[in-house]
Amino acid sequence: MLVIDALLQGILIGLLFALVALGLTIIFGVMDIVNFAHGEFLMLGMYAVYWTNYFLNIDPLLALPVSAALGVLLGLASYYWLIRYLLRGPAIAQLFGTFGLMLFLQYLAMFLFSADYRMIDKGVLVGKSYSIGPFIFDGTKLAAGFLSLISFAVVYYFLYKTKTGKALQATAINKEAATYMGIKTDKMNALAWAIGGGTVGIAGGLLVNFYYAYPMVGILFVMIAFACVALGGFGSIKGVFFAGLLVGIIMMIFPVFGQIIGSDFLGPHFKFTIVYLAYFIIVVVRPQGLFGWKN
Amino acid sequence: MEKLKDALDFSDFSKTERVCFYIFTVFLLVFPWLGVGSFVKTVMIQFMLFSLFGMGWNTIGGYGGQVELGKAQYVGIGAYTVALMMVWWKVPFWISMPIGVLIALGYSFIIGYPLFRLKGHYFAIATICTSLVLKDIFDNWNLVGAAKGIELPIHEHPDFLYMQFKSDTYYYYFIMGLFYIAIFYMNWFRKSKLGYQLRMIKDDEDAAESLGIDIRWCKIKAYSIASAFVAVGGGFMAVYNLYIDPASVMELSLSIKIALMAMLGGAASLWGPIIGAAFLVPLDRFLGSWLGGHKGLTGIDFMIYAMLIMIVSAYQPKGIWGIIEQFRKRGR
Repeated sequence: MLVIDALLQGILIGLLFALVALGLTIIFGVMDIVNFAHGEFLMLGMYAVYWTNYFLNIDPLLALPVSAALGVLLGLASYYWLIRYLLRGPAIAQLFGTFGLMLFLQYLAMFLFSADYRMIDKGVLVGKSYSIGPFIFDGTKLAAGFLSLISFAVVYYFLYKTKTGKALQATAINKEAATYMGIKTDKMNALAWAIGGGTVGIAGGLLVNFYYAYPMVGILFVMIAFACVALGGFGSIKGVFFAGLLVGIIMMIFPVFGQIIGSDFLGPHFKFTIVYLAYFIIVVVRPQGLFGWKN
Repeated sequence: MEKLKDALDFSDFSKTERVCFYIFTVFLLVFPWLGVGSFVKTVMIQFMLFSLFGMGWNTIGGYGGQVELGKAQYVGIGAYTVALMMVWWKVPFWISMPIGVLIALGYSFIIGYPLFRLKGHYFAIATICTSLVLKDIFDNWNLVGAAKGIELPIHEHPDFLYMQFKSDTYYYYFIMGLFYIAIFYMNWFRKSKLGYQLRMIKDDEDAAESLGIDIRWCKIKAYSIASAFVAVGGGFMAVYNLYIDPASVMELSLSIKIALMAMLGGAASLWGPIIGAAFLVPLDRFLGSWLGGHKGLTGIDFMIYAMLIMIVSAYQPKGIWGIIEQFRKRGR
């Protein structure tokens, strides 16, 4: 019983992880850049919904467009003001460049909103729970899982069924060949950052319904997202979806195992350790990930 | 003997560089007697400590060209070995520090073996992961003080066995000694066989392999050397701060800072990490003390710091040393 409950909870949170990691994997696929600041986009998305809810009394779920728009703007601004210049340099400079962006956004949030932990306390679903059969779900988590799934599906449809989406895929597979077909790399890069920022903005808006917003929250989720991206295979959209689910399940189920065998070592404070370890083992044993096509 | 000669031989540098180095050495020697305040002295100690870290990172990150972002775990290993052995068994610093270095070496071999199957981004993120795993374990392990950390027992003032002093001047000369040993070692290292092999690997792995260089083994060796360096610095941190916790010696930001010192100064050059530390450490500390104290200005210092990182990465990835060399070429 406990195990099935953890499994279902893991799937719900896993859907959200997949949405967080989606942007990261698209950006990586298109331009081979690891965006350290991805978690900070998430954090600002959380704050966007928090403050809309706080000042305008709008339900957190209806405030999602605000965080999505903020995410898109952040993505575009980062691309045009920073990433374009970083692309000329070596890989190590790119890593440090996005790392600088991460630090900047963290402390900008610290400066603007202080280091307080903030959580939404009013909203249609906040604090409500529903029982389905013998299982009890938080309303906010159900909504987060469901809306994550829809957002993911929309992006998936866009990437695989529309012309622009296909152009983006083409750039990811082979930049030069795509250029010969008349696809402008620069525009595709910007598009990748816009989608990446937008999706993670939505994820942040969903997350703030049941998790604290604070300036340093990003690093935790960006590490989980890295694990998902690596597990799914860098650049793979399908992969990141299943990887997100898997990571969510692993995270929820390990503490339950710990409870069952009565071991403190598998306690809840180690749930992130397990994600990191999973990443390490996966990339060492199977570096291309589950669905990877890029090396 | 030959090695020692190599280590002390700076003749392949230009005359300006050598003169600057000598002046810098004299400056460091007399610095504590210039009547500076204790805050400035702390900044200088931090500067030399971070140069030491940066020089260590430079072996694998600079000469080897591997984006290594997990050095904090070895700082932690060095610091915790010294602290725990002192608390549990009253082991003097001069015994526990080498043991810490040995543990760091052993651990780096174990971690390095699977780690160097990976390349590029995979490698960079994996190094972060290993470091965070160790931090999580220390954060929750009650035996070693968990997140509360451990305090070192205080000894009588000039204690050369446990390296505990009231005055920063002692610590200053102690870290200065380590700093110069590191410089001489790196001076030898860059001319050693491994040094050349690493640069070859950085330029073209396939070519290096075809010449019969065991790439993975070379990387592991460089990684272990870097870890040993950093563990020495960690041991120093333990006796200098007299208190350590996972947040201060194992944090991700420490790993990043270490790599950043070398990167910003100029990776794969002897002076790079020193220049980087000479620039970043005072900036960090002075900005922190000027702006951090004001209410409502928290975070501004780090924002400026972050802006600098972004600007340097975008415009001069070779770091400050790259800028200097650019000017030199133009002068010729």
